[in-house]
Amino acid sequence: MAENKKHSEHSHKSHEDHLRETHLMLDPMPRGKMNEMVMESMHTTSWKFWAVFALLSVIVAWGLFYSWGRLILEGVGIAGVNRPSYWGIFLVNTVFWIGISHAGTFISAILRVFKAEFRRPFTRAAELMTTFGLVQAGFSIFMHMGRVWLSYWLFPIPNQRQLWPNFHSPLSWDLLAITTYLLSSTMYLFLPLIPDLAMARDRSTGWRKTFYKILALGFRGTEGEWTHLRNALNIFAFAIIPVMFSVHTIVSWDFAMATRPGWSSTIFGPYFVIGALHSGMGAVVMVLAVVRGTMKNMNYFIRPEHFEAIGKLMLIISMGWAYFFFNDYIVQWYGGDKWTKTLLHWHEAGPMGWMWFAMLIFNVAIPWAILWNKKWRSTPWLIFIVGLLINVGMWFERYIIVPISLSINRMPFTWRLYEPGIEIPLGIGTLAFFVLLYMAASKLIPLVPVWEVQEGHMDHSLKKFGRETVVTVSDLE
Amino acid sequence: MTVDLNKLHAVGAIAEEAEGKWGMVIDQDLCTGCQACVAACAMENNIAFVGEEDAGYGRSMHWIRTERFWEGEYPEVRMTDYQPMLCQQCGKAPCEPVCPAFATVHSQAEKINLQVYNRCVGTRYCANNCPYQVRSFNWRDYQDSRIRPEITILANQFNPDVTVRRRGVMEKCTFCIQRIHKAQDKAKSEGREVEDGEFTTACAQACPASAITFGRIDHPESLVSQLARMPHTQHHLEELGTLPSVTYLKGA
Amino acid sequence: MSEKISRRDFLKLASVGAATTAVLTGCGPASRYVTREPYTKMPEYTYNGLSTYYATTCRECAAACGLIVRTMQGRAIKVEGNKGNPVNLGKTCARGQATLHGLYNPDRVENPVQQGRAKNFATEAMTWDAAVQVVADAFKNNDPSEIGFLLGMAPDHLFDLVSDLAKSVGAPAPVRFGVLSMFESRATLSKAAENLLGQSGMPFFDVGGSDIVLSFGANFLETWLSPVAYTRGFAKLRRGDPKHRGYFIQFESRMSLTASRADEWIPILPGTEGLVALAIGRLVAEAKGGAVPRAFASVDPAAVATQAGVSLEKLEHAATLILDAQHPLAIPGGAALGQSNGLFTAEAVLAFNALLDNFNQTGGVYLSPLAPNQDEYHRPASAQEMTDFIEKMKSGAVKVLFVHGVNPVFELPKSLGFAEALASVPQVISFATFPDETALASDYIFPDHHGLESWGYQRVVTGTTQSTLSGAQPVVSPYFNTRATADVLIAAAQSAGGKFAEALPFADEVDFIQSKLAGLVGQEGSFLAPEINTFAAYFQQHGGWWKKDAETQVITASNALSKSLKVAPAEFAGEGEFYFLPFVSPTLAEAGANKPWLQELADPTTTVMWNTWVEINPETAHELHLENDDVVKIISEAGEVEAPVYVYPAIRPDTIAMPFGQGHTAYGRYAQGRGANPADVLGQHFNEAGDLAFAGMRVKVEKTGVKKILSRLESRIGVYGEGMGEEH
Repeated sequence: MAENKKHSEHSHKSHEDHLRETHLMLDPMPRGKMNEMVMESMHTTSWKFWAVFALLSVIVAWGLFYSWGRLILEGVGIAGVNRPSYWGIFLVNTVFWIGISHAGTFISAILRVFKAEFRRPFTRAAELMTTFGLVQAGFSIFMHMGRVWLSYWLFPIPNQRQLWPNFHSPLSWDLLAITTYLLSSTMYLFLPLIPDLAMARDRSTGWRKTFYKILALGFRGTEGEWTHLRNALNIFAFAIIPVMFSVHTIVSWDFAMATRPGWSSTIFGPYFVIGALHSGMGAVVMVLAVVRGTMKNMNYFIRPEHFEAIGKLMLIISMGWAYFFFNDYIVQWYGGDKWTKTLLHWHEAGPMGWMWFAMLIFNVAIPWAILWNKKWRSTPWLIFIVGLLINVGMWFERYIIVPISLSINRMPFTWRLYEPGIEIPLGIGTLAFFVLLYMAASKLIPLVPVWEVQEGHMDHSLKKFGRETVVTVSDLE
Repeated sequence: MTVDLNKLHAVGAIAEEAEGKWGMVIDQDLCTGCQACVAACAMENNIAFVGEEDAGYGRSMHWIRTERFWEGEYPEVRMTDYQPMLCQQCGKAPCEPVCPAFATVHSQAEKINLQVYNRCVGTRYCANNCPYQVRSFNWRDYQDSRIRPEITILANQFNPDVTVRRRGVMEKCTFCIQRIHKAQDKAKSEGREVEDGEFTTACAQACPASAITFGRIDHPESLVSQLARMPHTQHHLEELGTLPSVTYLKGA
Repeated sequence: MSEKISRRDFLKLASVGAATTAVLTGCGPASRYVTREPYTKMPEYTYNGLSTYYATTCRECAAACGLIVRTMQGRAIKVEGNKGNPVNLGKTCARGQATLHGLYNPDRVENPVQQGRAKNFATEAMTWDAAVQVVADAFKNNDPSEIGFLLGMAPDHLFDLVSDLAKSVGAPAPVRFGVLSMFESRATLSKAAENLLGQSGMPFFDVGGSDIVLSFGANFLETWLSPVAYTRGFAKLRRGDPKHRGYFIQFESRMSLTASRADEWIPILPGTEGLVALAIGRLVAEAKGGAVPRAFASVDPAAVATQAGVSLEKLEHAATLILDAQHPLAIPGGAALGQSNGLFTAEAVLAFNALLDNFNQTGGVYLSPLAPNQDEYHRPASAQEMTDFIEKMKSGAVKVLFVHGVNPVFELPKSLGFAEALASVPQVISFATFPDETALASDYIFPDHHGLESWGYQRVVTGTTQSTLSGAQPVVSPYFNTRATADVLIAAAQSAGGKFAEALPFADEVDFIQSKLAGLVGQEGSFLAPEINTFAAYFQQHGGWWKKDAETQVITASNALSKSLKVAPAEFAGEGEFYFLPFVSPTLAEAGANKPWLQELADPTTTVMWNTWVEINPETAHELHLENDDVVKIISEAGEVEAPVYVYPAIRPDTIAMPFGQGHTAYGRYAQGRGANPADVLGQHFNEAGDLAFAGMRVKVEKTGVKKILSRLESRIGVYGEGMGEEH
């Protein structure tokens, strides 16, 4: 491991050693050893893991299932929605989780397409977030419905009465977009998983062997199989990018297509996409920091260089978000519409004004203040906090867009604040369920795409030209 | 070149050529805010009462409400005219396209917005998108005798012509469509047209000041259509292009 | 005639309404033996999906609005106004609409019960035979002079029956009371008419025919006298003449619903209404030229303006408008009469009308016509008279008290001590339909039918210039095991025998009512019937009988202006920095609190639902560090009451106001334990006419530190800009 290679007798490390220590791609290990490390990380579970797992299970049982049961039986009245805030935290959470799910695709598809090498060890961790985040988004949107037992009416199921969903409604688009995204991102998660499952199959016994055997679909690693896999990944990586952009754009249309002041904005599409990336990247660094800190052998795969690279991306996305926010704000404000101006005033000076300022501080001020510094953004705990604050800030942003903006409309006689009720246990429940799924997955599937890392190792090498040590990269694909 | 203003939606709902269109005129100078319309509407349409806590939290289910604001400060304070606000039965209703389940639809016959209770799945998108905020949602099972045992007695009063709504369903003013149909059926069986003033909505019928007038707005000689052509009329939020069927008469 | 006719036969006779074209006449008497039929045994004309309509009279207040009730398969579905009835001409108020929630109220008294006094409700159910026996024994075992009858403002046929009974057996005449009449100061109004015009009767103010109305505290669009009729008048004032919109000025210390509809609301000092009327009168008289009449001569407008806290320009403006008007009208009422000088105020405003020369004129003042079967106007008891009655009860002169249609334990100010007096009456028999406070303090409750299940008639006291008797009939068969009080009294009188049996020689209630209608047979009116059976059938069908033309009592007073009025300043009882102004809730009135949809209605001015509030001027609230929803204690010399604050922008800074209607300690689940009752702080002060000086109190306000969020329909953000920062 990297630490073992330290030349302790020297007061300062040689340049080559430094490169090896900091860059995973330049720090290769025998394949067998690396496979062992990944398998070991899956198999090693401490009592702490089970304690957290049990706690989360209890939270899920209470927050998600019991509370949802009550919500269904007693009606939406036990939530905090009212006139005029007919939509509340359920929709906030839906948008939030869809936002979280964006980072996975962004990292594994866009970075793959652009051949950003630092992506290699954590594409899987990010893709898992996509799938599990979408599960929570789906839950949240069904919680929102007044008669969820009839939710199948929203799908175009052939029926004798020829009753179809209304395809004029952005909600119908939304449902189709999310379903498409869930299916395609799950497939996109599964494809690069196959070689690793095969690797795990070959190194397991008992039920795990059977489990991996089924999932690995008989992958043996022939040249033909690799070619097919690479081709499929290539197609998917390109194809899923527009899906990703369209999903959050369509989510934004739920709002932008409405006639409400503050919602009817042409820039909502890209604004939502960049917001989704913002929270998604924040979530990725949080997950990576936790994975690195808690799972065995992970500090080999996930290194400060990765946080550093994501940190740069986060800084750029934060700037992009600020740009879109400002654009949305200034255009609405200059528009001078009476109701919109009232709404903007309400955001800042209303009783929930603190949230508006917190949003700007968490989403812009803090990332800008910290992420510009290479050393700071390479520090896992620090960037974890930044990621956490960005996520809180982005949740606030959605909260401001949904219930706070709904408080103000064109009928001042009806303006009213929204106070959450059963949404809180349900929201905590979805969060706990997300973590729970993630924890379960970390013990069932290799969290690091070993084959991708190995591929990277083969691509990279250090060459000496005289005194200089130079990194060389070849492209196998 | 002549421009058809109707096609540009540049004129109000009155000018909309719509065979069979029903409309309402509310004279705000007459409205005393006495709530008779609200009570009559509740009794006619089996509207649930929600109790003190929910009512104070913006969950009251009035299909019609009287709004009022204040102008100035004491002693020169003035209350604005009472403004009864009910579903405006828009010609181009923002609530209609957003429902994913086709639960809120436009009736071709009456030119009003209908809410199909048994089709509603409760996304509440329509209510969000209603600029008039006149849709009310069944937040709980207010009229289920298992939850409110006293409903078994109160339910004797329920109008059998109107569905009782359960939790999770959106509802709103229907222009008393059950009365429209009753009158139309009766007229049809007698081989004639429905006469102006032959029947009216529950709110208009109760209104002690006769501030509410209801009738066929596409008949130029009907009372409602004559009133709607008076000079001091107003359509609420007309600028959104909703083509409301309710016309307000303002001031003196 | 005594032949039993089933409910379905009766329905056939009595059905009326838009849908019914058949005229049913001369088919014998209507039935009194009403039985409830199950769905499976519906009368043959009751088709699924078809409604039957019945005409009856609203009993939610005493105004006698005519109703057409839509029924379906034996259930009352919807209340509509009777277009024929001259009072309401097809219109109804919110309380009339919600009367169905009284009929199908889950908290009605379901059986005759005997109960330990002031114990929990319905301790022991009885049979009706036993109940009749209890009443008969009460008749027999007490000296007639020791029998007391306390009746509400409705229905009139029961009042007539009890009056006849009392007269025949030598018992004291029934005492009639209603809290609306207390807040309307009816005694003051009729006394002022008597003093000034020399004629007794209830004045009727023709708002609809007028073109400028000056109202001195009269809240005629809310609960005052006949709200639906006056609201119709208001609509006519505004739109009656398409070329000229009538103008309306309200003088009142708080902006009531009525004042909110005025073109000008002038918040004058409570108790100065009479002076202001005289001052404007003087300005008008001076402008008209000639001698200023005596009544107005002693008034100095400038001084009055200062005293009332209003600019002289406003009074002059009002005078100018009056001079330009064709039919000016001034109305006294409401809190202006509920002052120690209320009689003077009423006289001053009537004198002002005399000056405007509008007696017996369109848009002027009439004396309401007597109802068709009425010999003279019976005024309900004033608070002073109720106090006398309470004294009588306390002295032990009342051995048995029958109570019907009134709830004095709740309605009368606590300081009058009605509850204590009731406790000293050996036997109290209540005929309450609902378990109200007075019923719970009785030995027996023999529940009467709900108004929609009842026979009867109600005289129109005011509200129309046509002499009107509004008829009531059951629109549905009784839902519970209740019995008409008239029937109980008749049966008990028969059982008691002697004078009692002679006093009420009737088969039942319907028989009695027909005897009272007999005098109208053959008279020209809304219909003409040759004999009583036809008359009774038509009476039910039309929902009453009324004269076709206006027929008011002509005011003959020619010397109204030459009388000098005793200018009396208002006196305020108690200490404290605020004038206390109780007003009747426009949506609940006196008996609406047990009807859930009335509770759910937003109060028109404050939009509060389901509770009581205290209105305080924003500036005053700021000074006292009070905010919305702070529960305050209002302390008067007579008691104290707690309610949350509503910071109300349109009330004088020296006045606080509170609605009457809530604060029940009984009266069913929707009313009980909800809100507060302002009657708890009212003291024993009366004006010269004997009406309660309910607005003549001074009170202290104390913050309790508790908060109770009032449920409002309005948005505090949108209407008052709360939470919008400084700019809004």
